[in-house]
Amino acid sequence: MNLKLLQNFKQMKKLLLLVFLFLSGSIFAQKYYTKTGRTEFKASVEAFEPVGANNNSTTALIDIKTGNIASLLFIKAFNFRVALMQEHFNENYMESNKFPKATFKGKIVGFNFSEISGSKEYTIKGTLTVRGVTKEIETLGTFTIQGEKLLMKASFGVKPEDFDIKIPKIVSKKIAGTINISLDYEFIEKK
Amino acid sequence: MSLSKKSKIAIVVILVIAITSVVVYKYSMLPPAKIESKKVDFTGTSNELLSKIQENAAEWQDKIVVISGKITSVEDKGIILSSSIYCQLRDSTLAKTLNPNSPISLKGRVIGYDDLLEELKLDQCIIQ
Repeated sequence: MNLKLLQNFKQMKKLLLLVFLFLSGSIFAQKYYTKTGRTEFKASVEAFEPVGANNNSTTALIDIKTGNIASLLFIKAFNFRVALMQEHFNENYMESNKFPKATFKGKIVGFNFSEISGSKEYTIKGTLTVRGVTKEIETLGTFTIQGEKLLMKASFGVKPEDFDIKIPKIVSKKIAGTINISLDYEFIEKK
Repeated sequence: MSLSKKSKIAIVVILVIAITSVVVYKYSMLPPAKIESKKVDFTGTSNELLSKIQENAAEWQDKIVVISGKITSVEDKGIILSSSIYCQLRDSTLAKTLNPNSPISLKGRVIGYDDLLEELKLDQCIIQ
């Protein structure tokens, strides 16, 4: 009797282990990521020279089970067309030596991976941290499945003063009051 | 020449002003320097770079490095060296021509430590 119980117990343990392995396997398979996401900002004012830059090295991670999304970019990896503008952006406005990163942490509301056939819009809600200042962001994102890839496009506006970015009076006319940020990320499954 | 001395001086002054403003404008609109012409701050193996950066990550931002090591995996637009250095290639189409486990030497810029994916990130990488 006792021996039988013990055998049963051993079998149970095996089964539990299998279930656990299966679960952990599926958890790992539910992340999508990119290391080369494109984040662009535009702060141009008409009649003045264009102000804007691209960052093609944005890292982003989506947990497709929970809809959690996190992203990270390095301020120094913003590419400008003009070297002097890039220098001023890093040194005077963003102080990228002191605050090297900008991060976003949030959730894609109601995200359901299997529901996206072709293309679907979801609300993305979360917090953006720039220059050590955190601000709530809410915007619409378009998600598209293209073969093995999950594409995400979104854009939103921020104000320099939201992140304590001081713009000198002489140039303030040349920089838009609301800076438009657009995201274009191509996620692949994390294996 | 029939020009008076005054107008000659005026022409010279206008020319000088025009030339300097063109030079200043050209200089101020210069595109960022290409990686080829940037001064190298560190040369060594990928493993040496990793251990150096672990000591003090902050001071490595924006540093130009030339590293050699083994490709541990090949991705869409870049390659991974020593399992934890992601090198984004300036010419992303090159990634397809590279093979895992083969040795490589790259020049690139350290942009920082990516704590989401736990790897060091380099951009503008060119094969040396």
